[in-house]
Amino acid sequence: MKGLLTFKRIKNHLTFNFNAFCNVLFGQMPPPALSFANPVETLKPSSQHLIDVQQLFKNSILWAVPKHRRTIEKRLGRKFGYITEFYKMLMPRTDLFTCNHCGHYYQRRHLCPNCYKRVKDETTEFQEVIEKELGLDPIEQEVVVLYKGEKTKKPEEFWKGKRIVELKREKPVWFCRNLLQRTTIGNSDCKDVKPSELA
Amino acid sequence: MNQAEVSQLISKLRIRISPRHKNLKCPEGPQGRLNKLRKTVNALFKYERLELNYTIADETRGYAERLISEAIRHGDTHKPTMEMADYWIEEKQLIHKLFKVLVPRFSDYKTSYTMLYRAPKAYPDIVYPRSVLELRGNPFPSILPQRIDQRNFIHNILLEEAKKAYRAEKYEQITKSLNEQDVVDK
Ligand SMILES: [Zn+2]
Repeated sequence: MKGLLTFKRIKNHLTFNFNAFCNVLFGQMPPPALSFANPVETLKPSSQHLIDVQQLFKNSILWAVPKHRRTIEKRLGRKFGYITEFYKMLMPRTDLFTCNHCGHYYQRRHLCPNCYKRVKDETTEFQEVIEKELGLDPIEQEVVVLYKGEKTKKPEEFWKGKRIVELKREKPVWFCRNLLQRTTIGNSDCKDVKPSELA
Repeated sequence: MNQAEVSQLISKLRIRISPRHKNLKCPEGPQGRLNKLRKTVNALFKYERLELNYTIADETRGYAERLISEAIRHGDTHKPTMEMADYWIEEKQLIHKLFKVLVPRFSDYKTSYTMLYRAPKAYPDIVYPRSVLELRGNPFPSILPQRIDQRNFIHNILLEEAKKAYRAEKYEQITKSLNEQDVVDK
């Protein structure tokens, strides 16, 4: 009786699924490898009962589908951004100015990047020198940093009561003083005619 | 207690202080915030010019100003001021600097003792705003360029001359009209 039942079951499986039959015979098979899809097999309905159309509509197809058209305001907002919050279009900047001192551009109410960089480099060097000079002694005098050859320009009394830290280089010339001096001498056989009566 | 006595209790600072503090990133809580600020106040007294994030620079500025003004008001024999200086300045040689260098330097100042500038940033970079905090009267080259004397600019000279010529012309006209009137009166 028992044997008959098992035979029947095996037969059912055989008609249903060959793989399952193999499983019964040889125990658990290794996991299936990649293979080409068999259209006949996929077309075969997986469950025996008929497809309930209403159920299908409810469950799968109509998930996350917009029910209403988005308003024009919303669509434009998403495309271009919002002026008050986050505007995606490129806008001209009106807060850039040219530095009166060096001619570079700087942002309004900010320091000029070119001038500031020059000062910053100088400052860090000063700070290093001062820190090395003073060390851990209690600081009781105003510190003055002098370039090479600057100390002799003023009398001794001027530096009284000040701690002098000297740098080993000369004061940087940020502006050429000899602008009016000629660097090149024109040829003597030059035949250019100078314009006259300009004013 | 009347109003005059209240104003004697607290130093009046010459900077604007917002009613609410600025938030700093502090995982350690209020104590961590104080430690952070203590570090920057100490560094400000040591280096006299710093580049910091704007929020911490602004917070530091208030504490440094308060400390200097207390030191000026009470001097180094006042015990609470000394304790305050001892708490806020970690490197002890700088306490001497506060009372012997900064107090004489700032005692007759009519402005604030510190300056705060906005540091430049490269354009497309989106970064926290940086700023430069400094003590006034420091030994470094000044951060703002010296103002150029604009009188000698070529357009200013030309405009000046044009103004003179226009004025001379006007005076001539006026004198001529006056003369004509005199002739008519006679
Ligand atoms: Zn510049």
